[in-house]
Amino acid sequence: MIRLSVEDLTLRTPAGETLVSGLNLELSCGEVTVLMGPSGSGKSSVLGWLTGTLPAGFRASGRLTLDGRSLNSVPTERRRIGLMLQSDFLFPHMTVAENLLFGLCGGSRRERRERVAASLVDAGLDGLGPRDPGTLSGGQRARVSLLRTLLSDPAVLLLDEPFSRLDAARREQIRAFTWQRASALPVLLVTHDVADIPAGARVIEIGACGQARVPVGGSLLGAD
Amino acid sequence: MLQRLAALCVAIAFVVPVSLGIVGTLWQGSGMWNPFAASVVGSDVASGMASGMPSGATVTAPIKAALADPRFLPALSLTLFSGLLSTALVALLSVIVLVSSHGTRVWNWTLSTLAPLLAVPHAALAVGLLFLLAPGGWLTRLISPWASGWQRPPTAWTVPDADAWTLVVGLVVKELPFLLLAAAAQLPSLDVDGTLRIGRTLGYAPARCWSRLILPRLWPRLRLTFLIILAFNLSVVDMALLLGPGHPPTLSVLLLQFLADPDSRAVASAGALLLSALVAFGCLSVLLLERLLGLIARERRASGRRGMASRPARLAGQGVALSLLGIGLLSLAVLPIWTLAERWRFPDAWPSAWTLQNWTERLPRLAEPALNTLGFALATALLALVAGILWLEAERRRRVPKLDGLWYVPLLVPQIALLFGWQVAAVRWRLDGQWPTVLHAHWVYALPYVVLLLANAFRELDPRWSHAAATLGAGYWRTLWRVRLPLLSRPIAQAAAVAASVSVAQYLPTLLLGAGRHATLATELVAGQGGMDRRAISTLALLQAMLPLLAFALAIGWPAWRARRLRRAALVSPHALEGIA
Repeated sequence: MIRLSVEDLTLRTPAGETLVSGLNLELSCGEVTVLMGPSGSGKSSVLGWLTGTLPAGFRASGRLTLDGRSLNSVPTERRRIGLMLQSDFLFPHMTVAENLLFGLCGGSRRERRERVAASLVDAGLDGLGPRDPGTLSGGQRARVSLLRTLLSDPAVLLLDEPFSRLDAARREQIRAFTWQRASALPVLLVTHDVADIPAGARVIEIGACGQARVPVGGSLLGAD
Repeated sequence: MLQRLAALCVAIAFVVPVSLGIVGTLWQGSGMWNPFAASVVGSDVASGMASGMPSGATVTAPIKAALADPRFLPALSLTLFSGLLSTALVALLSVIVLVSSHGTRVWNWTLSTLAPLLAVPHAALAVGLLFLLAPGGWLTRLISPWASGWQRPPTAWTVPDADAWTLVVGLVVKELPFLLLAAAAQLPSLDVDGTLRIGRTLGYAPARCWSRLILPRLWPRLRLTFLIILAFNLSVVDMALLLGPGHPPTLSVLLLQFLADPDSRAVASAGALLLSALVAFGCLSVLLLERLLGLIARERRASGRRGMASRPARLAGQGVALSLLGIGLLSLAVLPIWTLAERWRFPDAWPSAWTLQNWTERLPRLAEPALNTLGFALATALLALVAGILWLEAERRRRVPKLDGLWYVPLLVPQIALLFGWQVAAVRWRLDGQWPTVLHAHWVYALPYVVLLLANAFRELDPRWSHAAATLGAGYWRTLWRVRLPLLSRPIAQAAAVAASVSVAQYLPTLLLGAGRHATLATELVAGQGGMDRRAISTLALLQAMLPLLAFALAIGWPAWRARRLRRAALVSPHALEGIA
């Protein structure tokens, strides 16, 4: 079932350069779509447009709908589009549990605490709740960050090079963790590392020329 | 060795008057030492006190006398009202301006107007505010008679008013830029845009992202600035003389009146001690309030409530920001108009006749205070820069310990409490009224800003520049002079401008340590208000405002000009750079 769809997206920088033109995307539940391209190709700007946080000066046109409802004029906080960035953005003035409570939507006080505790246990992070996020390892931080995003009950998950800062040993582990946790959601992954692409993903490449192409996923992986 | 010695001299020149001032006020305030009463009046009781035989009664006698004065409690309540309200408003309005404007054009405008508002001395801004807000002031003139129907100045309010509202407005307009600029300097290290992005994609309205994610991390970095503002608002003298009520005045002004009477010096000092206690109590209350709000905020962060974005609230906040800036800028703009006005009848928005006479006729009388002010400003800037650089260099090479807390002392202790004692010590050693003594006081108040401004730049400058110079065979001093200082020319120029503007604004140190012999624009302005006409007072205020603005224009313009000249030379010939550098 298609949840998020992008029709005919064109993005221009403040300098008037066209980053993306005529991009179409359809994200369905349980499906991973990968947006690939060299740095400066506008991948992150696409995510900025999807979340409604495009920097001032950028020009964009295109239709964005979630479950058939237009999101174009909906503010970021009500789009239900979850976002994970390269940096995990765990808030240093809150404990791990408080970071998760901050993400969690709804519920009574007790239910909320129980759910956060359960999700920590579930993710193999049992007992880390009262810790300062600064004392966690990179892999633990990445998992907490993903948990926080998922607890906020997003309809779609966007990932902006979420594995690139992890060391090689952890990367594979966190990738597996991410695909397992997000398996029910439509996911859009932005990356320039072909190793990030999970099996069965659809790959869309945006090149420096600004044209979106849809190559066969297998051949791209094979070419590397 | 030489450097450590020089740095120690800087510390001693700073610490000695500060501690002497505080101890002197303590002694006087406890009735143990009253050099004026002993020498001038020579009464038995006073000389008994001076010889240092305090009994239980005499130690607290001046404090009791201060509390018993019928003017004391009304003055105290005015100080509490104006000081606490203005500080609370500064905090509240800063948050409103930040949350509603950050990331918009309004924020950029705000930032560019804040610097001149911060640079202009309190007294000059206060005079401008009087000209703007008075019943016959520019604001009412701008809307009369076409909108208000007033043919003559309204009588519904007076400026200054007896309840200190004018003083509150003045303090807010002057201190808000201080806090906002301090916040603006800290925001880049908090990654506001990234935090807002994450907070909003988690479903939180922008204002909630600020209150739950950004402000709790911003506050610890602004705490000290905020306490300095609180201390200043509770103990301000020059602005209270110009904008505050007269009968009774605020506490610091009342204490200054006590001081004029040699027999009341002990009472004045005791009052200054009470004022210091009030400031300390205020700071403690802020820290307690911080704890309490921290607990509440923590609970609310865990509640998961998302909040709703409100466009009207956002626009209203931007309106608040713009109107405060407007008041500040208009009160500066009204000064040159008055200096050039020949005839400016009430409902007219502009003078009906213009003249240069206000300048030409008053020039001889303006020249002396203006030149005195300029002299103090230049000497203060130079000496504070040398001292600050000496100290920070010695600190960088670990010749002296890092003593950041020390520099804040004169900014947190009420000026009155420090200067009453310093004055006594200066009189005792016959140093009062001398030019170097006044300069010393200006230096003590300018140095903290110079050190705190330069500290980051000095500590963050990549040490590899020095290493590179050293491998080329340059010694320490050559490296400092030819590499480090030129690389730091921008912050150094700004620190010099700040030091000069701090000196230009000094009223109380010039008055108390100058023994009336050093008329500056600040002392003339405060003394003249009430007696002089608007044209005369506006020339003084405009001159006082122009000096710091000029200093900042130079501080921003000079490094930029130098950089452009280098670039242009490089365009003409790639080898030209060698000649300049």
